[in-house]
Amino acid sequence: MVREIQFRLNGKDVSVICDPLKRLLDVLREDLGMVGTKEACGEGECGACSVLRDGAIVTTCMIPMGAVQGCEITTIEGLRETERGKCLIEAFADGGAVQCGFCIPGMVIAAESLLASNPHPTNEQIRHGISGNLCRCTGYDLIVDSIRLASERGNGLW
Amino acid sequence: MVETSYIPKDLEEALRLRKETGAKPIAGGTDLMVAHRRGTGVVPKFPWPVMIVSQLAVFKGIRLEDGEVSIGAGCTCHEIEVSELVPWPVRMAASLMGAQSLRNLATIGGNVCNASPKADLPVPLLMLDARLELASVSGIRQISLNDFLVGPKKTALRDDELLMRVIIPAVNPAFTYLWYRKIGTRRANAISKLSLCAAITIDTEGMVTDFRSASGAAGPRIARNRMVEEMLIGIPITDIEERLPAFLDAYDGILAPQAMPEYRRSSTRRMLEHFLRTAVTRPAHGIIE
Ligand SMILES: Cc1cc2nc3c(=O)[nH]c(=O)nc-3n(C[C@H](O)[C@H](O)[C@H](O)COP(=O)(O)OP(=O)(O)OC[C@H]3O[C@@H](n4cnc5c(N)ncnc54)[C@H](O)[C@@H]3O)c2cc1C
Ligand code: FES
Ligand code: FES
Repeated sequence: MVREIQFRLNGKDVSVICDPLKRLLDVLREDLGMVGTKEACGEGECGACSVLRDGAIVTTCMIPMGAVQGCEITTIEGLRETERGKCLIEAFADGGAVQCGFCIPGMVIAAESLLASNPHPTNEQIRHGISGNLCRCTGYDLIVDSIRLASERGNGLW
Repeated sequence: MVETSYIPKDLEEALRLRKETGAKPIAGGTDLMVAHRRGTGVVPKFPWPVMIVSQLAVFKGIRLEDGEVSIGAGCTCHEIEVSELVPWPVRMAASLMGAQSLRNLATIGGNVCNASPKADLPVPLLMLDARLELASVSGIRQISLNDFLVGPKKTALRDDELLMRVIIPAVNPAFTYLWYRKIGTRRANAISKLSLCAAITIDTEGMVTDFRSASGAAGPRIARNRMVEEMLIGIPITDIEERLPAFLDAYDGILAPQAMPEYRRSSTRRMLEHFLRTAVTRPAHGIIE
């Protein structure tokens, strides 16, 4: 059984016809081409599939499409067009936070979610803020430094 | 034709679907979508019809009603952790569940109805004598959380019912000292290894007028026993030390941990000892760490 589900994606109205139990993650990647949202664990533990739903960070591997009707979804493709997104991505690049890059879209979404509620976090608060995101490459230190760099440079953005 | 999934537009439709099709609700989906996932690009499949209820406003809202706190079944852990109406141990337990992304999805209704002995919110809720309001096409009933949680993954929810809200009665007089601790592994994936929620009330004469304690992940059910609690009630707080060994042994008797039993038993003992001994020193701050 399929249904039409309407929501806003990165500021634009979209409509998808799909099974309401299909995961938002699969619709983003397969139907809408938003492949910046990654799948690793598929069970809510790694954060690679994170997006913002109505401004709040959520993992899309656990969300059925039927729960997305009328929501505002922001993926990394949308975030990177904003001043905050640009500031974060530049800080991640300058801070050497990116190795293979697989976890990075989710990390940037987590960083945005953190800074939106706490513009000047301590290192410990940053670690807490990205605690739902796994990275197999960096050992996290450079990611934490880069988020702090973004928070310093982006003074007033958040 | 029987559909496999529904998106009811209001409570009436949800209750009718529940009655006629037996559809199970998906709230945050953090238990159900993970348990029934089938991999990349494949739609999760459920052995029964399901209905998505996360959009229904009727399950939302945290309110104070006649001194009792009412938490809608669809309230997320995030909404609970930031609400000043909610008692501290419940806020604390909610704030320690998973990462922010999980807390934005996971609901109290899902946590309670999933009935895992490792679920975090039922531990302080049981300590606070919480009740549940259940609705069906035939009406509304209330049941204590203690009676609702029948066993691991088993509840008293009927096939035609939905959980509407969790009600936390007022505690009068307020607890003097509170304790909540969760021992997990990786924070964001911290399915509890063990948790303990405890509270004690001491009157102006220094008598213990109430004491409660509940343990999560220490057996097939969340452990709480009023008779054991009563061993410490009605005595001067200064007598706690001499009652402690017998009390700790009795509390140990209500735990039934399967994996790593020595670790769970000794950690529980140490936490209770620390909480009670600290309470005896009458610190100024009500939350004991
Ligand atoms: C990465 C990760 C980390 C987690 N960490 C924790 C943790 O730290 N502590 C913890 O306790 N749990 C944890 N969990 C488990 C889970 O997130 C919680 O149990 C959560 O509260 C479930 O809520 P939900 O709304 O997502 O449930 P759902 O998956 O939507 O539903 C769970 C069950 O409840 C039923 N249900 C839901 N709402 C109602 C209702 N209104 N009436 C009747 N039945 C209903 C459903 O039918 C289903 O049987 C974790 C899960 C993941 C994936
Ligand atoms: S793929 Fe969703 S959290 Fe790992
Ligand atoms: S950079 Fe490779 S997983 Fe994080």
